[in-house]
Order: sequence, then C-alpha cells, then structure tokens
Amino acid sequence: CTSDLTQIPISQATTATFYTQTNDFLQASNAIYNDLRGYPDRQLNLSETRSDNLYAVSDGGVRDWEGINSFHKTIASNPYVSDAWSANYNGVYRANVLLDQLAKNGKVITDQSLKTRLEAEAKFLRAFFYFDLVRWFGKVPVIDKPATANEVLSIPRSPVEDVYKLIISDLQFANTNLPETYAAADKGRPTKFAAKAALALVYMTRSGKTYDIEGPGVGANEWGNALTLLNEIIASGKFSLQSSYTSVFSYTNENSAEVIFDIQYQTGLSPVVGGTFPWVLVPDTWFQSQGKAVQGGLTIRPVSTDLLNAYDAKDTRKAFTIQSGYVYNGVAETRSFFKKYVDLTKVPTNRVDWPINFIVFRYADMLMLKAECILRGASGTQADVDAIVNQLRTRAGLAATTNVTLTQLLKERRLEFAAEGSRWHDLVRFGVVDTVIPAWITAEDVQKVMQPFQKNYILYPVPQTELDVKQGLYVQNAGY
Amino acid sequence: VVTTSENGEPLPGVNVVQKGSSTGAVTDAKGAYTLKLNNAGNAVLTFSFIGYVTQEIPVKNQSVINSKLEPDTKSLSEVVVIGYGTAKKADVTGAVASFNAKTIDQRPILRVDQALVGQMAGVQVKQTSGALGKGFSIQVRGTGSITAGNEPLYVIDGFPLATARPNGSGNFATGNPLDNINPNDIESIQVLKDAAAAAIYGSRAANGVVLITTKRGQSGRPKVTLNTFTGYMERSRKLDMLSADEWVDRATEMINAQWVASAPNRTASQTNEQRRVILGLPVGQVNTTYMTDDRWAQPGHPGLRYLDWQDEAFRKGLTQNHQLSASGGNEFVKYYVSGNYVRQEGMVINTDYTAYSARANVEVNASKKLKLGLNIAPTYSVNNDPGVEGKDNILHQMVSFTPVQEDTMGVYPNVGNNGQYRWSVSPNSPIGKLQNTIGETKRFRTLTSTYADYQIIPGLNFRTTINLDNTDNASKSYTPYSVAGSYQTRLAQLTTLTSGSFSTYRKRTFVNENTLTYGKVFAEKHDVTLLAGLSYNSDKIESASLSSNGGYSSNAITTLNAANGVTGNTSEARNVLISYFGRVQYSYASKYLLSASIRRDGSSRFGANTRWGVFPSASVGWRVSEEAFMKAIPVVNDLKLRASWGTSGNYNIGDYSTIPTLGTYNYTFNGVAAVGQAPAGVTNPDLGWENSRTFDVGFDVSVLNNRISAAFDVYNKLNTNLLLNVPLPGATGFASYLSNAGSVRNTGWEIELNTRNTTGALKWNTSLNFSHNANKVVALAGGQDQILIPSSFDISHSILKIGQPLYSIYVVKQIGILSQQDIDNKAALYGSETVGDPKYFDANGDGVIDANDRVIVGRPTPKYMWGITNTLRYKGFDLTVLVQGQNGGSIYSLLGRALGRTGQGFTDNALGFYRDRWRSPSDPGAGVVGKAYSTFGRIKNTDWLYSSDYVRVRNITLGYDLGSLMKTKFVQGARIYVTAENFFGFDKYKGGFNPEASNTDLSGSSSYPEPGDYGGLPLPRSLVFGLNVTF
Repeated sequence: CTSDLTQIPISQATTATFYTQTNDFLQASNAIYNDLRGYPDRQLNLSETRSDNLYAVSDGGVRDWEGINSFHKTIASNPYVSDAWSANYNGVYRANVLLDQLAKNGKVITDQSLKTRLEAEAKFLRAFFYFDLVRWFGKVPVIDKPATANEVLSIPRSPVEDVYKLIISDLQFANTNLPETYAAADKGRPTKFAAKAALALVYMTRSGKTYDIEGPGVGANEWGNALTLLNEIIASGKFSLQSSYTSVFSYTNENSAEVIFDIQYQTGLSPVVGGTFPWVLVPDTWFQSQGKAVQGGLTIRPVSTDLLNAYDAKDTRKAFTIQSGYVYNGVAETRSFFKKYVDLTKVPTNRVDWPINFIVFRYADMLMLKAECILRGASGTQADVDAIVNQLRTRAGLAATTNVTLTQLLKERRLEFAAEGSRWHDLVRFGVVDTVIPAWITAEDVQKVMQPFQKNYILYPVPQTELDVKQGLYVQNAGY
Repeated sequence: VVTTSENGEPLPGVNVVQKGSSTGAVTDAKGAYTLKLNNAGNAVLTFSFIGYVTQEIPVKNQSVINSKLEPDTKSLSEVVVIGYGTAKKADVTGAVASFNAKTIDQRPILRVDQALVGQMAGVQVKQTSGALGKGFSIQVRGTGSITAGNEPLYVIDGFPLATARPNGSGNFATGNPLDNINPNDIESIQVLKDAAAAAIYGSRAANGVVLITTKRGQSGRPKVTLNTFTGYMERSRKLDMLSADEWVDRATEMINAQWVASAPNRTASQTNEQRRVILGLPVGQVNTTYMTDDRWAQPGHPGLRYLDWQDEAFRKGLTQNHQLSASGGNEFVKYYVSGNYVRQEGMVINTDYTAYSARANVEVNASKKLKLGLNIAPTYSVNNDPGVEGKDNILHQMVSFTPVQEDTMGVYPNVGNNGQYRWSVSPNSPIGKLQNTIGETKRFRTLTSTYADYQIIPGLNFRTTINLDNTDNASKSYTPYSVAGSYQTRLAQLTTLTSGSFSTYRKRTFVNENTLTYGKVFAEKHDVTLLAGLSYNSDKIESASLSSNGGYSSNAITTLNAANGVTGNTSEARNVLISYFGRVQYSYASKYLLSASIRRDGSSRFGANTRWGVFPSASVGWRVSEEAFMKAIPVVNDLKLRASWGTSGNYNIGDYSTIPTLGTYNYTFNGVAAVGQAPAGVTNPDLGWENSRTFDVGFDVSVLNNRISAAFDVYNKLNTNLLLNVPLPGATGFASYLSNAGSVRNTGWEIELNTRNTTGALKWNTSLNFSHNANKVVALAGGQDQILIPSSFDISHSILKIGQPLYSIYVVKQIGILSQQDIDNKAALYGSETVGDPKYFDANGDGVIDANDRVIVGRPTPKYMWGITNTLRYKGFDLTVLVQGQNGGSIYSLLGRALGRTGQGFTDNALGFYRDRWRSPSDPGAGVVGKAYSTFGRIKNTDWLYSSDYVRVRNITLGYDLGSLMKTKFVQGARIYVTAENFFGFDKYKGGFNPEASNTDLSGSSSYPEPGDYGGLPLPRSLVFGLNVTF
C-alpha cells in the first residue's frame, strides 16, 4: 500500500497538466489581468493622497494613509507601498510565465493570430506593471523571464534606463501586434491604441525633469515621439469625447468612445471580480448617512481647500466629483471628499464587489497630453493647445480661454482628472512638484502635522520586507 | 487472602500471577483468590496492584499464601505506558512525565488538558481562551518549530490521533485532538518528553507525545461509580478601564484640545453654543469633534446613562456534570462503561456548552491465547458562542465601548430602532449582539479502537489494531439585521442586512497498526523485550461551507433557506503516513538498562525523493541503587542515572505542499467572468522532514524510605531543516516559499519532586515541578540573520534573529514623557511629536525616532515554569491546593494597543492608566502615559509590552470521606468536596484579561503564525460542590 503515499490534491488544480491546450493559455492570460485589479486603489492611495488634492490628515494620525499624505520618512513598511511593489511583480511574474510557456508549448495554439495576440497582451501588461513600478520606485530589478529564487536574489535594482528599455520594447511589440478592436466578448483587452497611449505616456514621463533623483523623469526629450503616437490615436477616429462629463463615469455607459483602456469590474460573480476603488476615498459615515452599509473607506480624507478653491463656480465637474459636507446622526461633517465613482443606486451587497470600470487612458487625457507635448516643444501651435483645452472647458460649462500656458494646462488637468489618481504623476512630470507641494503645505497645514517636503519623496521607499530578504541586495532610495 | 499493610483490610482486584507463566487470578471483594499452579514447588507468586509495591512470594508447597501489600506512593514497580507497550517505571530510561489521573474525578475537570496544568515539569499547558469547550495549547520543552506547529502528538489507548496545530489566531479550526474526550474516563497520562522516549512515534514526535490511557475493568464484582458536581463559574478578573466619569473627563479634555488646535483664536473656554456659531452650524446640529455634550457637565447628567459594559455582559453561570460508570469483569470479560453529561453556562451571557459522552472499553479473553477488545467513545457537544473573543469581536468591543450612552437606549445603543449616541463609538451594542447573534457549533465525535492480541508462543505476541476517529462538525452562524449596520442603514435595508452561514467538516483518521512483541527473561538476569511493527495512517478532511448573500427574506427564520442568495463550496484533502518501527529493551538484573528504537516514516506530504525519514534513538540507564555498594547506604531507596539521544520529526504542513498548484485569479471582460489560472506559489518538490535531535541526561532518586523522590533532567534539543517559509524577494512574484531551512535550539532543565512531609494522622504530601527552557534561533535560510515577522497591525513587532529567542519582541522603547526641555535639547522625536507626547529611545542615535530604533525587549515564552501541589489528609478530610506560575516571558498585547494607543480617539473607552496621564507641564501624571490629545500617530513601542509572569492558585479542593458515615453493603465509598478554581492569582498583564490568551492572528501571514491577544476572556473562576459515590 505504499502507493498510497502518492497523493494528488483533490480540490486544487496542479500545474502538471496545465499549458496543454488553447484554453489553458487563455486562462493564464486572464490571470495576468487579475493583477490589474488593485491598480485604481493604488493610484488613489499613492498619487491622489500624496498630492495637494487631498489634505488627508487623519484623526490621531493613525491611518495608513497618514504617512503617505504627510510625508513621513517611515513609510517603508506602509502596506500601500509594499503592495505597489508586490502586486506589480506578481503581474510581471504571471506575464513572464505565459510568455515562457508560449515559447515552449505555444504550438498547441493553432490560431496563429491568437497566439501573437496573447504574446502582445502579456507584453503590454508586463510593461504596464513595470511602468507603475518605475513611477513609484525608480530603479527596480528587471526580470523578463520566470526566474528561480536564487536568480532573483542575485539581481539588484536595475538602472531606470534599463527598466524603460524593457517597457518600451514591450509596448512597441504590443503596438505592432495588438488588434485595433475586439469583439464584444473581449472588450477590455488592450488595443493597439492602448499600447500607443501607454507608450506616449512613457515617453512623456521619461522627458520629465530629473530632480537629481533616479527616475521616473530622465530628462529625455521625447515629446515628439509621444505626439506622433497621440496623433495616431486621435486620427484613428475611433474615439471621441462624451457629451457630458458625468456620462464618462456612468455605470450604464461603460466602454464608451472616450475609453481607450480601462480596468474592468463586474459585480455578483464568484470569485469576486468587482472593485473597491469607488469607496477608497469615501468616509464610512457618509454611506451610513445615505442608509447604506459601511464600505471600508474608514474616516474622511478631506479634499484640500486648495483644490476646492481651484474650481470655477460654474464648473459642472465639481459637484459630480466632490461631496461637500453631510450630517450623520446629528453630527455635522463640514469637510469635503471625492465621491466620483459612487452611484448610490449601485451599491453592491458585497462591499468589495463594485461593478464600475476604472478608466486608465481616456480620450480627454490623450488630448491634454497632446497639448502638453506641444507646449513642451513638439510640433503644433498655441491654437491647437487652446482648442483642446477649450473643448474640455466647454464640456465642463466654462468659458473658452486663450494662450494656455503649461501652468494653466496643469490646472486644467487637475480639475478634469481630479480623483482619477493622476495628480502626483502630473506634478512630477510637469517639473513643479518641488515648488507646488512646499507652498501648498505652508498654506494649508495649519495644524502643522505634515513633515517638510524633500525631492527624494518623489519616489517611494523600497518596501522594508524587500530590503530584509537579503541584506545589501537592494539599496534603499535616498531620503528614507 | 491479600490485605493492605496499612490497616489489614482486604484488597480486591489484586493480580496474582505465577511468575514466568500466564497463570493468574484476581482477588475478590474479600481479598481472596485461588490459583492452580504448575510445578508448585518452584513457583513464585507475584502480587501486584496499582498503588502498592509488588510482592513476590515463593510458594514452597504452601497451599495458603497470604500477602500483605505495602502502599507505594512513588511506586517504582508502577507499570507505565510507553509507545506500543508498557514498561516498569523503574526500567524507563527516557524522560517521561507521568500524571496519575485517578484523582481527576475528585476535581471538577471538564477537559483533559485542563487537568494537566501545572502538573508536569517541562509541559507547558496554556489556557489560551476563557471560552467554553476550547482546546488548550500544550508545549513540551519549548517551541522548536517556526511554522510547522508545536503541539504534541496525542495517543489514546494506543491510537495516535491526527496532530493539530492552531491556526494563526491560536484556534484549532478543525478541532483539537482532546475535544470531547471525557476526562473522567482517563486512568493515566504519560508525556514522553525526550526523543528517546518519543522517537518510536517518529515523524510526529518532535513536540513530544502525550499517551492517554482510559479506565479498564478489573476482575471482580461490578463497581459502580457516580460522580456529580454542580456550581457556578464567573470571570476571575475585570479589566481596569476608565469609568464613565473618567471617560467624560478625557473626552472633554480632548475635544477642547482639538477645538483649540483647529484654528487661530479658538479657546477652551468657548461654550458649545459659541463654537456652534463659529462653525456656522444650524441650531440642533453639533460637531462632536469640537463640541462636548452639555449634559456631561450637568448634575446627574440628565438623559444619559453611565454604564460599565463589563458588568452588563459578565455573569455567574451554572456548571454541572454528572457521570455514572460501571466496571468489573471475570476471567472472560473485563468491561468499563460510562456515561457523562455536562452543561456549562459561560461567564458571558448567552454562551453555553453542553456535552454528552459515553465510553465502553471491553476486553474479551476468547481463549488462553487470544484477546479481543473494543474501545468505543461516542460524544456529542453543542457550543453556543456568538463570537466573543478576538479582534473586533464582542469582548473587544465591550471593553472599548463608550461608557456614556443615551438613557433611552438602555444597554442597546445602535440596536434595532435605536440609533447611536453622538459621542459614542459606532458598533452595535455588545449586549445586543450577545443576545441576538447565533454562533452554534455541534460536534459529533466517535473514537473507536478494536484490537486482537494473539499469543503465538509464550512471550511472543502479535497484536493488530484498527482505529477510527470520526468527527462531524457543523457550525451555524446568524446575525440579524437588528444588530448589523447603523440605524439609517437598518431603516433603509432591513433584512437585507441579515447574514448567516452554515459550515461543516468531517474529519476522519484511520489507523491500522500491527506489532509483534517478544519478552523473555534469560538466565533470570537478562530481561529482553523486542518490538517490531508497521502502521498505516490516513487522515482525511472534507469540508463544506454555505453563506448567505444579499441578506434574508425573513426576520424570523435563521436557516439559509430564507436567504436571498447563497454561496457555497466544498473541499477535501487527504494524507497518508506509512511506518515501520522496532525497539529493543534490555535490562541486566534490573541494574543496567538499555533501550533503542528506530522508526521509518513515509508521508504523502513530501515529494518522491524526500518522502521517507528515519528516526533512531537510544537510551541507557544505570540503577545505581541496585549495586552492592549502594545497599550499604540504606537512606537511598532508589537511584537511577539516565542518558538518552534520539531524533524525531515534524511533518505538520499542508497536505500538498510539495505539489505546484494553480490558483484561480479571475477577471471580467465586458461584464462576463473570465476564468484565470496561474501558479499559486513557488513549491519545493524536495521538501523534507523537519528534524529534531535531543540529548537528555537525568536521574531519578528516592530517599528516606521513599519519603522524598525526585527526577531531574537536562536536555538539549536541536531542530534542524525547519519547515520554514523562507522570505522571497517580491520580484519573484511571491513573498515566501516553504523550504527546509534554519534551526532552533531549546535547552533546559526540569525537576520533579515528591515528598511525604508527614505520615502520621495528618498526611501531608507535596509534589513540585519546576522547569527552565530557553530557545534561540541558530540559523535561518541562506545567510539571513533575521526575519521580521509581518504584522497585520502596522510595522513588525517581532523578529526571528539568530541568537535570540523565537518571535522576540522587537519594538521602540518608551522612556518617559517629552518635556519642553527635551524638545529644546533636540531629543529624538517620532514625526510631529510635541511636549507631553511619549519620549522614545533613539537606539541608533540618528536623532529621529523611527522603525530603525526598534530593539529586542522580550521573549514570548516564559523562562521558568512551576507548579506545586500540596495534599493534606486528616481523618476523613482531604485538602489539595495547586499553585502554578511562570516567569520571564513577555506579552506584546494588541488589545492593550487597541485600548491604550497614542492618538486614540476619545470615543473609545481607554485603559485605566489614562487616569494618571500627562495633562500639562505642571500636572505630568505618573510619567508613563502621555497627553490624551496627541496627533503624531503611533509606533510599535513598549507601551503595550507586559510581563507574562503570573502566580495562580489554580485549584483548592476540600473533600470529606463519608465512607465511615455510610458504611453499608452497597456503598463502598463516598466523598463530598468543594472546589475553588482560579480564585486567587497575580499577574502583571494590565492590557488584557489573561496573560496566556491567544485569539487573533497578529502576523496576518500563514508563514509566521503569531497568535496573540486581541480580546481574550479571563480565566473562569468557579466554585463547585461535588459528590463521588462508589457502589
């Protein structure tokens, strides 16, 4: 009976029989997408919360976002920070495994175009994860195939240029090989235009100021490269602005013509594939005041006075994006918070199962990025810039303007993309984070709970757990 | 006729055997026996009876042989159970601790593990929960494994039960091996502590082996015993929290401070009305951050109720236990049957435990050579616990609940149609939850062993056993909407807020063991016993869980048929262990003793290349007292030197840890589910056994007519090839993988001392055990010198570091309160600290306080443990007092942190130490706790470090033997008693109720299980009256 000693799992699938048919490869690909699901929360916690859009000082200073908002030096163990590292690398790993298996066993996929598409999707996603990593951490180890523990333990943080090299080559492959459109069942997968959008943003990020730190800006002058890609998206004619701002974020208008790439969620499925980002910045007591169950945003992360004051009174975006005060149980909350993604009629029974998609690249952003490239010296005219900005101002109910400068463009971006997680990245790319943030702290932090800003805080620290795995393998970012 | 030497009374049940043969008899009620002898001229009769010195009388052709047996308090001829057999205690060469369980039924014990507290040196029995029916945690000689569990193997009547390890929260999620085992059925317990004694159990013996023997029938007329007790149980202590008035004082101070800090020109003297106007709030609205409740300051605080939540939730609960048993037998059949009923009401309202258990142990002598036996013990228990212990559960919420509430809501704030007091925390009333939530666990367990023993030739026996342990467990939970969500939510959603679940598991352990034993004495001096065996062991678990989705359609039905939606799943897992084992025991003239064993185990949990492990052991003993030169020293009755070496293993990992599995990671495209699968982790196909090697040296001594006897042991246990979750760089895609890496050493010594202090009319016996254990990490994976244990709550607070104890507590040291002078002197600060905030030790001297200033400040395991039992007998009275304690360990209390953290808001109630907080430079308080209103945040520091030292009078029992009063034909004995458990004690744990509590997963990582206290109940204090009658 010693044969009984060979037991195989009863309730778990094993890798031994996987990657043997086309469907296995599709499932392996879907698993990479699964790692996108934390992306929106990450942008809200690490970009929006760190920026001047939120004065997210918490009562007693005890929330995990406190250190992010208030520039604490001691955030190497912050869960938001460690998640940014581990979740992206888990995605990289799954992409690497699929690419490796496609090379080894991909011959079982008889549909050649599907095989190429799966490879291009995996590369798009791998680049997507690495781009997220390089923006948060600067130098990160580049791993482009499934690697053993010992191999990874000998790979230090690679120079930022090496990280970008992999990102650009992956996105170029994706740009060449991804389809322009998908059938309805595959909506949500990246198209050729999603690859162009990502690559344009990569070029622009690289072209940002270096601040004498190691990434994400490397001072490359690639505004022209970016503009070419953005113009290809615009010229494709496949995308357009929605007539109203609110309809862009409507639960019933997903996959609209304004969406170039989004992260998709649905409610009521098992395992859960819904989202949590709609309530990440929303205080629990507001949901309760509306007769809804506690969601998990805990206490309020107030919108900064600076942002509240930045809106023109006629701006229709403000009321949609921001909730100003409420009363719960006779207790008044006078501060404001972002509720952009919350539709109270769509609150799911399970709080982690919200159905709304998170738009990563939207057409309005492509237009604004184009304007930015032009103002940075790529080909184009001031009239082109003004026309773009006025398109969005008009949609928001504002009067047209002329001679838009970079400073004004940044402000327009702030209002258009508030609560979408782009503010911190924008401040860094525009080269003004080291002036805007200190001034804002001085003006707004009357409670004097924020720590002074340093340029090193443009990057986050390498998570403490990563430093602890092997002493000396990774060197911590300066300033931490 | 056999009588006792004490008073000449007849002794029934004495075994009389012709030495070297299988001929024997048992004395009857009058102590009489008859025996037909072969070769009567040379025969020697052996008279043996538990508790008496065995006597040998040569027959010499006499036809009547009367024997007078000497009572033996420290019986050297006592037969003790060892793995796969028995041995004379005098011949045992390993480190074995014995617990004579015969007195269990003279004390109100409801679990076997409860009886072991404080009884044996080197055996730490932790009562980690005050909830009913929960398993204790037992550690033998410290903790040697980081991941693979430290609980011993339990063997009941030769049946090795499936090992269980507590989950990250410290609970036995799929049952503890001692669940539903009725302690009143236990005859004796042996703990095999060193590898030499335990190695016969090979791969499961690294944490020690607990051998439990249940009662059997003795030949003679039926003996019927009734044990019954009843009494009450209540909390043994209360947690010192702020009273309602003190809470108001702290809240007022904080609200004023928040108001003043919020903007220029705001002062504490501004009234609430002035503040409302400044804030621009309409009449009737308040801002609780900046405004107090006017009623706090009014005499008699009209409309408010000042509460002590602990007093509302705790109670005195009734406890009762009734057992009836019968035993007896003749030359063909011996039997023991019992039935037991126990019902306990918990110390917290609406918690209770009921159990019914039965046992039948029957042995049949089918022929002179063949014995057949059956032990069967079905049990059924029902436990009601709505979820009292653990983070955010009822106890935690009860102690931190705002002690000031609207009078109109009674003890039910935020329940049903009640809203929430504006200055209160937001959970539903803990009393409401206790009264309305269902948390019911029903367990049906049957433990069955059947065996056949066949004598092939005299001395050579073949024994086969088939054992089955089957547990069927069903748990039901139900939380009605009346105690869920907030008032507004309840109004809007009603029963869609109701939730419920139902989950079951079936756990089955099947064991077949076959052994050959051969025992013979050659030339009267060479006593040899040989054992060879093989065993097949399979564990299977099947579980199912269902839970409601989207609420219920009814507010009257608690089962899931009323749920609006149901989700569920099932899963199964199985493992198989196959073993071969053998042992040689040799004794020369009972003077020189030798024992050696070997076991080869194969487990399905390991990969094909590493499946088998071999676990040898050897031990020697020298009974010095048998030497001629020692006979000259009559003061020494017995002296035995022992030395042992052995290895054993640990295989307590998941069933399929060497097999790479796929996880399900779905996504959705355009609203439709897209199934995703990817490798779930990094697996190591060459994962092998965790190895434990122990050296042990000891001696047993007995002097002054056996009035003082002692056992002493020193040991050194090295665990290597630990089944350790080795941290990986995140760039691999994963956080860790299971590997054989690292080692941990436990060293220590143990003393057990038994003395008969007085032997006259007043008999006073003392039994003392004292042990010391130290463990340290010797090596970690590949060149690492430390692993920081992740924490679910903020940064790490414990560490595995080479040279330091396992899970050393690693936090920043608080060294006082910051004064203005400190600030002026540029004292190191954490973040935006100001005057009145805590002052921390800048360990690395870089001028700021941060995570790099953490230092090791304590170890979670005690250095010294001890227990002392004094028994006094005078005439019919008996008095037993058990005192037990430990020293040298620490607790890092997350409950303490929850109730007394820097920056803690005013709504929560806070620990009593806030009474003496810093209030101003001129009123700095006790210098321990900083100001109430502090905004710098928090860092893991020594505020929440407590000593785990305690001294506890576990048990005081006073009994009276009614035997002399009611001497009738029917009643053989009767005793009444009263017992007080946990009435007196002392500990230093001010941040929780029980220094040994564990109920919450502190690390949040299955790689480094770190159960800790986040709201554990106090130990129950009980006063019980009992009666034992034997017919």
